[in-house]
Amino acid sequence: MNSRYLFGEAWAIARSGPRHTAMAVLLIALAFYVPGLFALVSRNLARLASTAGDPTAAILTLDPAADAHAIAARVAGDARVARVTIVGSRAAFERFRKAYPDLGAALADLDEAPFPPTIEVTLKPSAPPRAARELARTARSWPGVDSAESEEEFARKFRDGVRILRGAGLFLGSLLAIAAVLSVASAVRLALDLHRDEIDIMRRMGATEAAIRAPFWLHASFEGLAGGALALALLYATYRGAVHLLAREPHPVLSIFWVGFLDLPTALALPAVGAAAGLVGSFLSLSKRPKA
Amino acid sequence: MIQVFRLCKDYGPFRHALSEVSFRVEPGEFVFLTGPSGAGKSTLLKLLFREELPTSGQILVNGRNIAVLPESQVPYFRRTLGVVFQDFKLIGRKTIFENLAFVQSVLGLSRAEQKRRAYQALKRVGLHHRMNSHPGELSGGEQQRAAIALAIVNEPVLLLADEPTGNLDPVLSEEIMKLFLEINIRGTTVFVATHDVELIRRMGKRVLTIEKGKLRDRDLAREESLAREAPFLPGS
Repeated sequence: MNSRYLFGEAWAIARSGPRHTAMAVLLIALAFYVPGLFALVSRNLARLASTAGDPTAAILTLDPAADAHAIAARVAGDARVARVTIVGSRAAFERFRKAYPDLGAALADLDEAPFPPTIEVTLKPSAPPRAARELARTARSWPGVDSAESEEEFARKFRDGVRILRGAGLFLGSLLAIAAVLSVASAVRLALDLHRDEIDIMRRMGATEAAIRAPFWLHASFEGLAGGALALALLYATYRGAVHLLAREPHPVLSIFWVGFLDLPTALALPAVGAAAGLVGSFLSLSKRPKA
Repeated sequence: MIQVFRLCKDYGPFRHALSEVSFRVEPGEFVFLTGPSGAGKSTLLKLLFREELPTSGQILVNGRNIAVLPESQVPYFRRTLGVVFQDFKLIGRKTIFENLAFVQSVLGLSRAEQKRRAYQALKRVGLHHRMNSHPGELSGGEQQRAAIALAIVNEPVLLLADEPTGNLDPVLSEEIMKLFLEINIRGTTVFVATHDVELIRRMGKRVLTIEKGKLRDRDLAREESLAREAPFLPGS
């Protein structure tokens, strides 16, 4: 069995049932698109967490009309506080622009910065564990403070959120990968039926089972590879579409999910896993034993 | 070439397809296997081809006990055989030349060797002028000849045929049998299963008759010779 025969027959199998091949590729693409979307979103959330600078214990979001310095002085009066930093609207906007370059450029034309002023509180190392939470709870009742969150709580919630998102993506991705494998198995079984006469002839002529099955394995792997690549293309189109829409109408929360695309290893994993799913599907569907 | 000893094949406890069948076919012989429908002809051929396993007994083909042949060796055993079936299966989307070349590519032969053997086989069956035709463009007789070419392309030592003329008229059947004779003359052992008694009679070759799974070995040529010598004996 040579490679010319192998690739030639795999191509012939694809051509003999073009609709079935196209449907299998589409099913695999859809199966990998959804977990790919989860991976993209969770990656951007994780990136957001990692771009945070020095650990901030609490963040107070202020009313734009409030006296930021007065509130900062009041916070600094707490013995547990090491440092208080006022982040004005403009400064917050610059941070956003650095963190999200794709979106920040689109906001540059706005007359005023869309972000409220905030006060970032850093505690002394000697501060007790619940100090940030207590400080935030106290500050919420101060006039001029719209909201106060302890970063510890926020960070915990954020990490939990990312973990849940990743877990959900993994679970859903696994289910969909199984669906993709079964779809390929059905498509291969269909291709087998279409080529039943050829297989009979090959068996009569003394072809080994490997020689008979190898083109189907290869064909199914190609289906999986194409499906994974299509999923990647759809994901990239979704990403570019989201960036384009958010550039026209920025949203401070939704923008977080579309900071950047998948890194190269993750992106290449989609067609690779697709090819593997195709191969597994073909193994599942190809079996024959002699009657005895 | 073929040695069968006390061969039995059962499909379930109450259906005995073959019962204690024993016979021997020498290299270069031409043998017919006949019997009524359901007698066990196709079953015997499937066992010789190792498409099925016997319930008991031994089958030696070209010195190999195929009843105990490991599954991995079956393809290599089949490469020494040629098989022709009534349905003359050919790959419709390929020309008959491509059909013959294709099966050889699976066996790993070089492209040049594939072409040489395919052309030679088609020439032997008289179809080399139609080698670029698809099976659907051929007549029934031509398709069967193409199937025979497929069976002999690997120059087998044994050719098995199961009702090769079942779908053909008497004239075409005669043509196919002549082809088998030519193949036999060149040294290939030929074993043909058919229920065409008239055809068998005209060929005058050795006949194995199966009835209800049991075998009777007849030499028609000798029977006819005896009948001519004593035409007036009671019962002749």
